[in-house]
Parts: sequence; structure tokens; C-alpha cells
Amino acid sequence: MTGVARYWRLLRVQVRSSVLLGLQYRADFVLDGVVSLFWTLTALVPLFTVFHLRQTVAGWTFEEALVVTGWFTLLEAILEGAINPSLTAVVEHIRKGTLDFVLLKPADAQFLVSTARFEPWRSTNVVTALVLWTVAFVRMGRLPSLPGSLSAILLLVTATSLLYSLWILTVSAAFYVVKIDNLTNLFNSIFDAARWPVQVFRGVMRWVFTFIVPLALMTTFPAEAMLGRLPLPALAGSVVGAGVFGWLSRRVWLLSIARYTSASS
Amino acid sequence: MAQTMVSVQALRKHYTVHKRPPGLRAALGSLFRRVPTVVKAVDGISFQIARGERVGFLGPNGAGKTTTLKVLAGLLHPSSGEVRVDGHVPQRREDAFLKKITLVMGQKQQLLWDLPPSETFALNRAIYEVPEPEFQRTLTELTELLELGDLVNKPTRTLSLGERMKCELAASLIHRPQVLFLDEPTIGLDVSMQVVIRDFIKAYNERTGATLILTSHYMDDVAALCPRVVVIDKGVLSYDGALDELVRRIRPEKRLVLRLDAPADRAALDAVGRVVSSDAAGVTLQIPQEGVNAAVSRALATLPVHDLTVENAPLEEVMSELFAQSRAARGEVEDAA
Amino acid sequence: MSVRSTVRALPTLFRVGFAEMVAYRAEMLVWVLATTMPLIMLALWSAVAHDAPVGRFDQADFVAYFLATFIVRQLTGAWVAWQLSFEVRTGTLAMRLLRPLHPMVSYAVENLAAIPLRMVVAFPVAMLALILTGASRLPRDPLLWAVFLLSLLGGWLITFLANAGIGTLALWTGSSVKVMDVWLALFMVFSGYLIPVELFPPAIRGTIEVLPFRYQIGFPVELLTRGLDLRAALRLLLGQWIWVGLLTLGVRALWRRGLQRFAAYGG
Repeated sequence: MTGVARYWRLLRVQVRSSVLLGLQYRADFVLDGVVSLFWTLTALVPLFTVFHLRQTVAGWTFEEALVVTGWFTLLEAILEGAINPSLTAVVEHIRKGTLDFVLLKPADAQFLVSTARFEPWRSTNVVTALVLWTVAFVRMGRLPSLPGSLSAILLLVTATSLLYSLWILTVSAAFYVVKIDNLTNLFNSIFDAARWPVQVFRGVMRWVFTFIVPLALMTTFPAEAMLGRLPLPALAGSVVGAGVFGWLSRRVWLLSIARYTSASS
Repeated sequence: MAQTMVSVQALRKHYTVHKRPPGLRAALGSLFRRVPTVVKAVDGISFQIARGERVGFLGPNGAGKTTTLKVLAGLLHPSSGEVRVDGHVPQRREDAFLKKITLVMGQKQQLLWDLPPSETFALNRAIYEVPEPEFQRTLTELTELLELGDLVNKPTRTLSLGERMKCELAASLIHRPQVLFLDEPTIGLDVSMQVVIRDFIKAYNERTGATLILTSHYMDDVAALCPRVVVIDKGVLSYDGALDELVRRIRPEKRLVLRLDAPADRAALDAVGRVVSSDAAGVTLQIPQEGVNAAVSRALATLPVHDLTVENAPLEEVMSELFAQSRAARGEVEDAA
Repeated sequence: MSVRSTVRALPTLFRVGFAEMVAYRAEMLVWVLATTMPLIMLALWSAVAHDAPVGRFDQADFVAYFLATFIVRQLTGAWVAWQLSFEVRTGTLAMRLLRPLHPMVSYAVENLAAIPLRMVVAFPVAMLALILTGASRLPRDPLLWAVFLLSLLGGWLITFLANAGIGTLALWTGSSVKVMDVWLALFMVFSGYLIPVELFPPAIRGTIEVLPFRYQIGFPVELLTRGLDLRAALRLLLGQWIWVGLLTLGVRALWRRGLQRFAAYGG
């Protein structure tokens, strides 16, 4: 069986396991969804408070900032539904010493751990994102342009890829430290800066959030694309950036696995 | 001549740990400066294992058995030395190599926790690319040999430890590996389950010709399964050969276990051999190897014997003796140095 | 276990707790790094105050406010809810209960043992804040400093007790992490952590000022940066410690009942 076909088949088997698992814990869905929604709504309070006091902040109006928040919410949904569950399972493996079983399988370890668990019912925030965008564009009295929308879809792919790469980098750190819950905390804390248009940050921070932890590429650029004002170089830069980060995170993962197998006992 | 399956030459595995002495000052000091120590988990081991052999790794805790096993499985990189399993270099973790081996660890499991074992089987089938007819055949065989029955359809978390171990074994053999690494597979199981697992492993080896490497603290496992043992102590090979030979070498005395019709006179017992233990069930006497026949005749002649068996010294004693001897030898070397 | 023997054991408990924190220094560093919220908010609010001050806050005021928030957060953090949830889920709570030491005391010590190391981090930030914004906003009255220290203790206690109470719910529900998430969400918004309480619209400000969240972070920070007079400070201190009292009573009752249930179900 060729490589791609084989991994496609593996993916189907993994998804099936996730679905079966999910069906077991139905009650948790509702609760998760409610808590998730609560977080998203309370997180809107600063946005409302700020724009209650000012018309524009760093050159962004309330509606425009809402589009950025919409993208943030969408990425959070993807994070919660597709990325977090699997990768926190890696942490459990490391803690219980069962990562060895993953490493013994004749399949790529990163693929296996990344596809171990999907929890799509957590992605209720996808709806919230759509609502936020609708409100923003209705208030602005216009629709996103066609090239803008197409760029936005492309940027959704790059944003998801960046999110995944950042998470792999974070989880790779789990091979070096023992208490990983903090790492999840760290990721979420830093990622939270993506809620705001990157222009809010000045100087070093803006540079960091564009090139080192490229939050700008994940929420601000897609929002600007939707608003029809993303310059082409920035679009190209996002794609390149996503590629670079993908490559980097893969290297770090492989390095971490190599260290795990040489240093542990 | 049987084909060599596993070849290990001068294997060394060292790793660095940082000491953390107790006390507040030391704790603060360790914030800035840590004392590294090199732990020599495996310090120069060589052996060969032929296809289809069953070998037991024995040794005290921390001896390096599990480390060696993990190096053979490719999970750990050796610090130095050459390791080959069926011609493959384990560290490279080639797909072809990984499909030939399996690792079972007591107390740790690969079974998906909240789902039935059958789901893990299906997952492994996809990962190891086992064709459907072969999968069904293997599954039927394993279900029969392990007496799994309906266990495979109940969520793993609802199974008892013994049932989980059986399913764990099944999951690890879906792809019919040629080399089985078993790390304490019977730990924590009750005696009857240990027997079941032991019998299964033996049957599997006989049926498929798979090579078996087992580490265990339960001497019964080793005695039942492994005609050959490799003894590792403090990272060094202490003995490599037949188990019987080891017993003969370390504890050449035999044991005479008697069940008596009536309490026997102590003097009469002493005349037959050294009394090791004596209780309501019977008397155990220790006798030198050469004197077995004489002792048996005398016992039958002078004692009210109801039942008599000749045994080797218990393996536990042999092992303790072996470790004590090697520790003494090392102690002497250290003193001399 | 008697109070006296508990007190005698405290030094050792603290020493061990401290050593643990040092051993896990990577995690400590991560925990500190994870307190990025005040810095992000600082950037945001500075952008808001770019052209003109917001209320009484100009950009320098925001720097002072959020650096103070960072410091106070470091010194009043607790994570008992997650500890309790974890221990109930894995059954290891039983081991803690077997020790001749009230579990809440051992949790408190473990959480407090992190504070010295966090102070090591907070100190340079405090210096930075002083350099950047000057000492003009700090209180002059030594009594106000005494109130500040008490407010830190009170803030820590409210955080700890809220954590403990919600963690205790795990004895009923198996895992109370989600409830803690809800508390955290409310905490972040209404404590002054993300938004200075003064900047809330007047309609809801009154309510927010009375809630316990404000007393976790907002009150100590206001003492440092708002120039409160002694009377106002003491009044707020009273409010804070009323919450401490209420939460103590609540947690005690919950814990007692929770333990009964735990014992009944074999844990």
C-alpha cells in the first residue's frame, strides 16, 4: 500500500475510534459546549469595554476588531476540537510511560499521536465565529469581497497549519519538562494575544508576534483579507511562514523523540 | 545450526542524572549548579540468541535488564556497541524491523482505555497492514489460546488486571511478530493467571517459532519458560547459559522433600541430610548432589515416608546466592583497588 | 492532628515544598511565563490611551497598573482546584487523607511554597516598574503598606479558598475543572486583571466592586497605584476579609460533607 493511501486509511481508523469514544461520553458534550461558550462570551467583555471608551484603537474600529476576534474564536474551536485532545494525550503517554508503544509502531509517531483523538463537538465556537463575523459585516453594511474571501480561505489553511505547528513545538517541550499542564497554560496564555489586531502591539512585541510566534498570520492577516486590505506580499508571507513553521516543528519533534530514546531508561 | 536472531556486542548504555541532595541550601544551590553523575545502566554486554529460542533475562532491580530490552526494541540508543535483531539495526526503527517485533510491558498497556480491546486490534491491524484473512485467522487463534471469549467487546477499563493482560498480549500479537520482548508480563497477576499466561507464551513460541526474550522477577516464569538465562547484574553479564547448569553451579545441593506418616526423630532426619524446614506438611532436607541416591535409600529405610520428591534448590535462593556472590566479588575488587 | 503538632511540622513542610518547587524549576519558569495576560492587556490599553488618557489612566498609569497586576498575580496564585480534581480522579486523595495532617493545610503549604520563587521573579518586574513609572503612585503611609501586605494575604486566601471549594466539588462530580474554568473566566474579567475595575461602565461597576474577584487582584493593585487614603483602604480591607470569612465557612462545610460522601463511596 502506498504511503499516502496507508496513512489515509490509518486516519479513518483513528477517527472511528474518536467517534466511538465520543459516543460514550455524551453528557460531557453539552457541558463542554456550555463552558466553551461562556469563556468566549466573557472574553468579549474587554473588547466591548475598550470600544465603549474609544471609537478606534490602533487604527481598528469595533467592527473590524470583531472580525479579528471572530478568527481567533474559529481557531480556538479548531484547537479544542482537532488539535488539543490528541496532543494532550501525548502528555498522558509520557507521564504513564506508554509512549514507548507509539514509538514501536511501524508508522510515523507524530501522525499517530496527532490523529489519536478528535472531539468535533467541542467546536461549537465555529458557530460563534460565524455569528461574530455576521454581526461585524452587517454593522459595516457590506460583504467581504470575492478575492478577499478566497484569500481568507487560503489563510484558514495556513492559520490551522501554524496552529498545529506551534502546538507540536509546545508538546515537544513535554519531553524535557515533567509537569505539562503548565505548558498548555503557557500556550493558551500566549495564544490569547491573537485576539487583538497585531497593530495593538508595538516594537519588539509586534515583531515577535509576526515572526517568532506568528499570531499575526493566524488572525490579523485573515481578518485583513476579509476586509479587503491585505497586501499581496503579506499573503505570500503567510504561506511561506506556515511552510517554514511546519518544517521547523517537524524537526523539533524528531529531535525530541531522538532525545527521549537516548536519555530515558 | 540455528539462525542468529539477536546479536549484541559490547553494549553500553550510560546516562547522566543530576543529584539532588536534601536540605534547603542544597536545594537553592541546585538552582544554579547541578551535580551530574553518570549512571552505567549497561556496561559491556555481549550475547547471541538463535531463532526460536526462549531466553530469560534475570537480575536484581536496576540491573539493566529492561534497558537492554529497550535497546533491542529500538526504543533506546546504545551509548556504544553493536546490536542486531534479524539483521536490522534496531535504533533505525525501520518499518520492516518494527513489524517483526513486539513489546509487552507488565503494568503498562497499549490498549485503548475507554474502548473495547477489539478496537485496539482493529487499529493495530491498520498500522501493521495485516491482510483481513490473516487477521481473522490470527484473531481466532489468539482468542482460542487465551480463552478471551467475549472480553474483547467490553471496554478495557471494565476488565480485571488479568483479563487486560490477556487482551494486551493478543493486541501485541496481531501482526504475528517473530520476536517477542516481554518485560515483567505477569507482574501483579494472581497465580492461576500467571500459569495461563505462561502456558500461552510457551504454546505461541512452539506454534510459531517466534523468538522470546523475557524479563521477570517471578522465578516460576523463568523456570517454566526459559531453558536459557542471561543474568545481568549492575549492567554486566554475570551468566549466560542453561538454567539447569546455573542451578547446578550455584546451588549444587538437592532438596529432599518428605511427607511423613508420623513425626520423625530429629537424629534420624539429621542422618539423612541437613534439615532446612519442618512443618505439618513435611520436612525438607538438603543433601549434596552426589549423595542423592544414598540419602533416598536411607530416608526410605529409616523414616516413615509417605511421599518423597527430589528437587533443585528454589530458584529464588539460587538467584540471591548468585547476586550475593557477584556483589562479594565486586566488593573484593573495590577493596583491592 | 493537633494544632501544635501541625505548627511544629510546618517548617519541614515548607522546606520540602520549597525544594519541590526548585526541583521543578522548568515548570516554575513556564508558570511565570504563562502570566502573559497583564502584558498583553498593557499593550492593548496603551494603544487605547495613545491619543488621550482613558479615565484617569494615561499610558504611564497603565504601565504601573499592569506591572503591579503581574506582581500581585504572582504573589496570590493557587492551584488547589486542579490538585484536588486530579487526586480525586486518580484516587490518590486517599493517601493525603491518611496523613495526620489536615489536607487543606498540606495543600496550603504546597501552594504557598511557590511564593518565594515567584517573588524572585516579581522583584525584577517591580524594579522595572519603578524605573519606568517612578514611585509617585506608591503609598507613602507605612500603615497603607501594612494594609497592602494584609491585602496580599487576603487575596491569596480568597484565591486559595475559591480553588479549594471548587476542588471539593470534585468529591461529588469526579472532576471540577470545568467549574474552575468558569470561575477563572469571571475572575479574569471582573478582578481587574484584564480591565481596571474603575473603567467599567458605572451601571455594572457597583456590582463588580462587591464581588470577591475584585479583592483577589484589583484591591491590592489599587493600593499600589491608585493613591487611596487610609480610611478607604481599611474599608476595602474589611470587605476583603468578610469574603475570606464567608469563603472559609463555605469551604469548611463543603469539605466536611464531601469527605462524608468520599468515605461512604470508598473513594
